[in-house]
Amino acid sequence: MKNKFNYLLILFLIIANPLHSREFIIVQSTTSTASTGFLDYVGDIFYKESGIEIRAVAVGTGQAIKNAMRGDADLLLVHSKKDEMEFIENGFGIERFDLMYNDFIIVGPKSDPAQIKNLQDLSTILKKILKGNYTFISRDDNSGTHVKELSLWANYNLDPDQYTNYVKTGSGMLSTLNISSEMNGYTLTDRGSWIAFQNKALLDILYENDNLLFNPYGIIALNPDKFPHVEFTKANQFIEWILSKKGKRLIEDFRVSEKQLFYTYK
Amino acid sequence: MYVLDRVFEAVLISLNVSVGSTLISLMISLPIGVMIGINSFYGRQFIVACIHALTSIPPVCAGLLVYLFISRTGPLGWTGILYTPIAMIIAQSIIIIPIMISLILKNIEEDFNSYREELISYGANFKNILILLIRNKITLYITIALIGFGRAISEYGAAAIVGGSIDHITRNVTASIALETSKGNLDVAIGLGSILIVISFILSFIINRRKIL
Repeated sequence: MKNKFNYLLILFLIIANPLHSREFIIVQSTTSTASTGFLDYVGDIFYKESGIEIRAVAVGTGQAIKNAMRGDADLLLVHSKKDEMEFIENGFGIERFDLMYNDFIIVGPKSDPAQIKNLQDLSTILKKILKGNYTFISRDDNSGTHVKELSLWANYNLDPDQYTNYVKTGSGMLSTLNISSEMNGYTLTDRGSWIAFQNKALLDILYENDNLLFNPYGIIALNPDKFPHVEFTKANQFIEWILSKKGKRLIEDFRVSEKQLFYTYK
Repeated sequence: MYVLDRVFEAVLISLNVSVGSTLISLMISLPIGVMIGINSFYGRQFIVACIHALTSIPPVCAGLLVYLFISRTGPLGWTGILYTPIAMIIAQSIIIIPIMISLILKNIEEDFNSYREELISYGANFKNILILLIRNKITLYITIALIGFGRAISEYGAAAIVGGSIDHITRNVTASIALETSKGNLDVAIGLGSILIVISFILSFIINRRKIL
C-alpha cells in the first residue's frame, strides 16, 4: 500500500508542478551576458528585492531565439536587432526594449602578421586578412556576433567561404577566442566576452571604436497569448526593474577585471 | 573562496542528479531485467539485442531525445521540466538503464539458469524470484548501481542539452569544466576535473575488486 502511495505522490508532484506559478523566470540569453556573469550579478540583486529567481541559459543569439520560439523561455535577451524585430513581427514577443550596448572589436595575434593594427578602414582590414591568406576564425553558429560578421562581409562584397583561411568553429565566443589564440587567427568578438576572457597571453585588440561595430542588446518578454505558460507579469517586472534608474546604474556598475562591459542609453 | 564555492556547488549538483538517476534507473532496470532474464517469450532475442545496442547510445542523442519530448512544443512540454535537474535525471536514466539491464541479463544468464527449474518447480513466482535475487546478490546489484553512477556522473552531452547549464541549478561538474575551460579559468576546471577523476578512479577500483565484468 505504502509503495502505491509513493508512486501516486511522485505522479502528483510531476502533474501539479506546472499548475503552480513559478517563482523563477527562464531567460534565453547569450554568452556575452550570461557567461560573463552579468545575469548572475543583476539576477542576485533582483532576487533579493523581488523573490523572483533569474535562470539564464547561455547560448548564441540564433539558438536563443529558436529556443524562445519553442516557448522554452519567459524572457529573451539577445543582440541581433533585425532578428529580434522579426521575432516580434511573428507574434512570439510583444515589445522590444533597448537595454544596453557596447561594441564589437577585432582581435588577433599580438604579432599581427597581417599588419592591420595601424589601419583605419574596416573594409581594408577585412580584405587584407581574407585575401592575404591570414586565418580568420568565424563563430558560424548564428549568434549575434556571427550575424554581425556576415553582414560585414556582405557589406564589402566578400564571400569568405571561397577562402581556405576562413575557419568556422561552430562554438561559443569564449571557445572561439581560445581557438583563435591556438591557431594564430583573427576574429570578431563582442567587447564583453573579450573582457571576461582570461586567456589573453597571445591575443590583443587590433581594431576598435568604429560606429559600424555598434552592438545593441534588446530585451523581449514572450507573448502570453502564444505561450500560456509564460510568467508574463514576472518577466515584465524584471524588464521594468532593469530599465529603471536603479537597474541602469547596476548595468553601468558591472565590472569584470575592473573594466565596464555594458553601457546604458541616457 | 570563489573557486572553492564554485567547485563545491557543481559537485553537489552532479551528485544530486547522478544519485537520482542511478536510483531511478535501478528501480526500473531490476524488474525489467529480471523479467526478461527468467522468462522466455516470442521476440525475446530481439529485445535483448536492442538493449545491448542501446548500451552505447551517445549521450547527446539521449539528451536530444529528451529535449524534443519536454520542450514546451513537445508532447510533454506541459510539465515544464526543461532546464531543471529532473530533466537531467531523465536524460541520464535513458543512458544508464540499458547498461544496467544488460548487466543484470548477463548475470542471470550465467548464473540463474542452473537453478531455474528448481525454483519454478517449487512454485516460485516472479515476485519471489526478484526478491530472492536481490537478497542473495545484493553486492552484485550495488556494483551495477556503481557502474551506472560512474557513467551518469561523467557524461556531459545529455545533461548539458536538457539542463541548459544554468548557474546554481543545473550547472554540474562536467558542464562547469566545459564552461570554465572556454573562459580560460583553468584553476576551477582543473579542480573539478581532478574531483571527477578521483571519483571515477575510486568507483572502478571498487567495481574491479568485485570482478563481475
